[in-house]
Amino acid sequence: MINEVELMQQFQKEFPESQARIKRERRIEVLLPAGRLYEFAVRIQKKLNFQHLSAISCVDWIDDGEYELVYHFWSYELNVLVDAKIRIDRENPHFETITDLWQPAKFFERDIHEMFGVVFEGNEDLERYILTEWKGPPPMRKDFVSRDFAHRFYHYKDYEPQWLTEMQQHSSGGQDE
Amino acid sequence: MSEKLTQRKAWDIVLDKLTKRSLWMLHYCTGCGAIELPPTMTSRYDMERFGISAMVTPRQADILLITGYLSVKTLQRVILTYEQMQAPKYVIGFGSCTINGGMYWNSYATIKSLDQYLPVELYIAGCMPRPEAIISSFTELIDRIGRGEANSWQDYYDNYDFYKKNQEHVFGEINTYVDIKDDKVKFGI
Repeated sequence: MINEVELMQQFQKEFPESQARIKRERRIEVLLPAGRLYEFAVRIQKKLNFQHLSAISCVDWIDDGEYELVYHFWSYELNVLVDAKIRIDRENPHFETITDLWQPAKFFERDIHEMFGVVFEGNEDLERYILTEWKGPPPMRKDFVSRDFAHRFYHYKDYEPQWLTEMQQHSSGGQDE
Repeated sequence: MSEKLTQRKAWDIVLDKLTKRSLWMLHYCTGCGAIELPPTMTSRYDMERFGISAMVTPRQADILLITGYLSVKTLQRVILTYEQMQAPKYVIGFGSCTINGGMYWNSYATIKSLDQYLPVELYIAGCMPRPEAIISSFTELIDRIGRGEANSWQDYYDNYDFYKKNQEHVFGEINTYVDIKDDKVKFGI
């Protein structure tokens, strides 16, 4: 059974443009160019027998103008978690699907489509998932200000009761003492 | 409201005296507030001594206890549930979240003020309200019913357009299978 150091060396050899490093014991991080992710996923599933796609997560790097997609692959045989990270353009986010390799990716991709607006080409079911009546922009984007939206969209009232203003007038707020 | 009170028939007064000692509660536990209900229901605080017990179906329930925040999605289910209930029906908003959003005051997904969407009879403030507060609100409700003042549910029939407008603003149109305006005419509410 190979350990994570050998696994990392394999990745570096087969994907020379990637950067692989060991984050800690049994955790490997691989930074890939976006075009190589599918190839990497095929390789890791068919040859190295990583059966489990734990999750796909999305990170909004607004200053870089990029989304980062993180694919978490887990192997029950090696007990190793591989985080494959790719960057895609933030303005017109498109990426290819991996649903033909892992069925659960359907839901992860659907969720990311709803929360970040990333379109996964090849995933046929990108309908609304949790926010079925949502009218605004994708809410997990960093430029979406939840408070402003809530104030505008819902019935919002400030809470300034009489007793609080009276209390503020009578007391000095502890500044005299 | 005062006009309605003076014109109330003798039978209604008798009915109020009987109703207030036999209330069935449907608890819609979407949020964290449900954790305060087991001690309220069971022997520690024992709400059955006030004649209040849990009901499994909205059609036979009198009280709709909404514990905690409501997202846009769960609000639809609450409205479906509420419209199935038979009048008189009393909505109790439980916790800060139903009053002004509570700790979800800046959330994009939860509604802020329940009384914009349903006529609320009573609010219980707090995060969380203790079982004593729930018992206190129940006794307050019992007193109001006994005095014939717990009439906020009629507001839903009188001002249905207001509630409907707010509901449609957040989630669009849904089919609730209940025609409120038709019921108002048919049952003379």
